[in-house]
Amino acid sequence: MSVTIRIIPCLDVRNGRVVKGINFEDIVDAGDPAEAAKRYDIEGADEICMLDIDASYEARSTTLDTVEKIANQVFIPFTVGGGIKSVKDVEVLLRSGADKVSINTSAIINPKLIEEASKEFGSQCIVVAIDAKFNGKNWSVYTHGGKNKTELDALSWSKNVEQLGAGEILMTSMDKDGTKSGFDNNLNETLANNLNIPLIASGGAGELNHLVDAIKIGKADAVLAASIFHYKEISIRKVKEVLKRESLDIRL
Amino acid sequence: MKVGVIDYGASNIFSVVRALNSLGASTKIVKTPEDFKNIDKLVFPGQGSMGSCSKKLSENNLRDSLIDALNNFPFLGICLGLQILFSESEESEGEKGLNIFSEKIEKFSEFEDKTLKIPHMGWNQVEISQNHFLFKSIKSNENFYFVHSFASKEANQNEIFSKTFHGEIFNSAVGKDNIFATQFHPEKSGKSGLMILKNFLDWKI
Repeated sequence: MSVTIRIIPCLDVRNGRVVKGINFEDIVDAGDPAEAAKRYDIEGADEICMLDIDASYEARSTTLDTVEKIANQVFIPFTVGGGIKSVKDVEVLLRSGADKVSINTSAIINPKLIEEASKEFGSQCIVVAIDAKFNGKNWSVYTHGGKNKTELDALSWSKNVEQLGAGEILMTSMDKDGTKSGFDNNLNETLANNLNIPLIASGGAGELNHLVDAIKIGKADAVLAASIFHYKEISIRKVKEVLKRESLDIRL
Repeated sequence: MKVGVIDYGASNIFSVVRALNSLGASTKIVKTPEDFKNIDKLVFPGQGSMGSCSKKLSENNLRDSLIDALNNFPFLGICLGLQILFSESEESEGEKGLNIFSEKIEKFSEFEDKTLKIPHMGWNQVEISQNHFLFKSIKSNENFYFVHSFASKEANQNEIFSKTFHGEIFNSAVGKDNIFATQFHPEKSGKSGLMILKNFLDWKI
């Protein structure tokens, strides 16, 4: 008896539609977010994540509308990320139906945001998302959807945000994202061994074994994937059956 | 029938309201003593620390009305709404709970096993130790969603309805008379959670 490994399908959303890119580029349309979320809930998803990928100011009301539509039909934890710049933005999303928010670029520009938001709403609803790429020595953190390289290293940055009050880390490997060649287990294990908050592994899921490895080797507490679930290449139920066979604790 | 949902000023109550509405219940947000009028049932959802919750209840003059309601209405406490029913918490020494249960809310012990993380966050099994109307159609050891760092470890045996393990055993549901409370979040626990909320709507004292 213990807390289960979470399988989190992610909806990358732009202008109220699900989209998917490869290596953070080449965007294609992939359907209605609320329909997809509902299907994932029925299939046994443990949480739903929605990332608003361009999150422009003009598109904000569309985003909130989508969040509300999903929250009205899906009663499992629901994380929303993209374009969050202030405590007010966090509050608006929580009011619209998000249970957690995921903060990426703004956390780097203004680390105080993590501190203030976690004090105000609790660490349990503040996820810090990190996009990073291996530089031969360690993993460099990037901002703005992978466009801008920073001086930060993923390990020290994740430890820093943990201190600031983040409740979880959503770690996306830019080297692996969209490649379907497996998660970056070195990166994830390095973080997991040094953090006391849960680690969500993201980027690279292509086949069932990748998810098993992310948990067994990468020591992730949760795995997040978008396209493999979206295009029904692998069902959530199938993933869970395999994890169960591997004697991992899962919710069936 | 109208279900009051307590909003003491520092909690995300919207998911509870949404879940109750999805089951056809009509809800009323309860923020002031006057709001307790014309409600038939009461849900107390909560996140955050027991200390700030206790303070806000006093600041907003909700404490007396709440104790009155606890004597009269079917009551469901969720997460912090369970913890506030106890006398006090290690999280906020000196701040008083509602003392429906005389024991104390405690910290999780330090773990030897580094893979166990605090807060206890995620889906975990709820082992039913005593039947209750709110557990109707729920099997023992189904998974429910938890997010918390403090827990009820000591309570009167006949007031414990389920137990959960996270490095140690704690009480994941407690109750007495018209009062039931869960440490997990039924409003975020998918079908099984909605079933508990539905049972609460059907519950007659």
